[in-house]
Amino acid sequence: MLIVSGPIDGSDHHRVGHPERPTRIDAVMVGIDNLHLGSDLQVVRGQPADRAQLTRVHSTSYLDELAAFCQEGGGDLDPDTYATIDSWSAARLAAGAGLAAIDALRRQNDGVGFVAARPPGHHALRDRAMGFCLLNNVAVAAAALVADGERVLIVDWDVHHGNGTQEIFWNDPDVLYVSTHQWPLYPGSGTAREIGGTHAMGQTVNLPLPPGATGDVVRRAIDEVALPVIDSFAPTWVLVSAGFDAHRADPMADLALSSGDFADLARVVAGFAPGPGRIVLFLEGGYDLMALQTSVAATLGALLGASYEAEDPTSGGVGTEMVNQAKAERATAVRGAGDLVVPPGSLL
Amino acid sequence: MAPIQTIAVGFDGSPDAQAAVRWALQLTNQLGAKLVFVHAAGLLEHIEDPQAVLDLEETVWVLTSDAGLDPTRARWHVSDGDPCSVLLRAADPPISADLVVVGSRGQGARVGLPLGSTSHELAEHATIPIVIVPRGNAR
Repeated sequence: MLIVSGPIDGSDHHRVGHPERPTRIDAVMVGIDNLHLGSDLQVVRGQPADRAQLTRVHSTSYLDELAAFCQEGGGDLDPDTYATIDSWSAARLAAGAGLAAIDALRRQNDGVGFVAARPPGHHALRDRAMGFCLLNNVAVAAAALVADGERVLIVDWDVHHGNGTQEIFWNDPDVLYVSTHQWPLYPGSGTAREIGGTHAMGQTVNLPLPPGATGDVVRRAIDEVALPVIDSFAPTWVLVSAGFDAHRADPMADLALSSGDFADLARVVAGFAPGPGRIVLFLEGGYDLMALQTSVAATLGALLGASYEAEDPTSGGVGTEMVNQAKAERATAVRGAGDLVVPPGSLL
Repeated sequence: MAPIQTIAVGFDGSPDAQAAVRWALQLTNQLGAKLVFVHAAGLLEHIEDPQAVLDLEETVWVLTSDAGLDPTRARWHVSDGDPCSVLLRAADPPISADLVVVGSRGQGARVGLPLGSTSHELAEHATIPIVIVPRGNAR
């Protein structure tokens, strides 16, 4: 069973010529239609995230500023990121969509959730919009789960590092953040040396990859570096920041994945969930519409066992050396942090 | 106080950033320091005409010449990220700046704030001294 929360195309949050555009959601929905799921597809429509849900991850001052900025007509928030008079509503609806997916999965105790909503979220910081993102959708959902006592693994396979999600959960022992991303690339963060804050040392796992890296390199990075940490963490829920801009056709970056690689990644990540009904994917980036359509279909088809002819997985690209380097840098950072372990309750 | 050896100045091509560059060039001359022109490469730059960034670089070299600064004491540096994050990292290698200079408002703004979002965030989070050059002031 696929539970789609949406579609929320945020059509009023739109600027002509901007690559993060409403037609991305159309492409996603065509990809889902092509799976011909019939009664195995359930569409849910959530409510806009409310203030209590948003303030778990964003400062009240930022929320007030953003709402006022939109109400006054919007404009540029940074060289990449804009808001319109309707963006506050669109962003709250996208942030609430993940919560609706979780509610539906809990009711059924089965299935896979997919949040087909924009604007995306993983660059949004606690107190700042950036990188096309206004509110951090996956973080809002993860924080809600943590409030219910869950342990949440966030896997972020968008081609850009999810700096906002990393920052929000930097010190949260109930969240494990794992990111594969091109490096160097926007937003400039995401080195393997970034491993988490004092209260969550080791619970940020960054796996930077060079331009040209193929699917086999991504899978190797996850297997060799992230897998032991995930096993030890033992998540009760898995959320995926599912950007599809690591596809080789995407204009925003230079990794070399195919739709078949996303299918493989999805199978691997689904294996981290403790059982059925405990995985939700959130649309992040992905700006080539055909690559987005086929990658979404391949990903969800793999998770549901649906028949879909994806592109062949890729291999033989560069990146093995960077994976080895990341493994070594992370080990050094974790060892160094071990010397600084602070007892629970310490004012440090 | 440690001597100021390296100054970083943010540049996005806006009029306020040009004022900041002119001010930083003068300070660099007075202190005998080195200057790094820092440009933040955002998400959209990956799909934009690369000539636009070349034009920005050309602008700072014209300003350098106008200020009479020996160009060997200055360099152009492009770093991935949003302007605030990139300038916050200027204190670290490879820039290792002792001082950051920015215009009061570049591209992007936050309503209700007296400063642009970059200068406001820098003022809140910078670990080294920053100078915010008022709008239109290059003296």
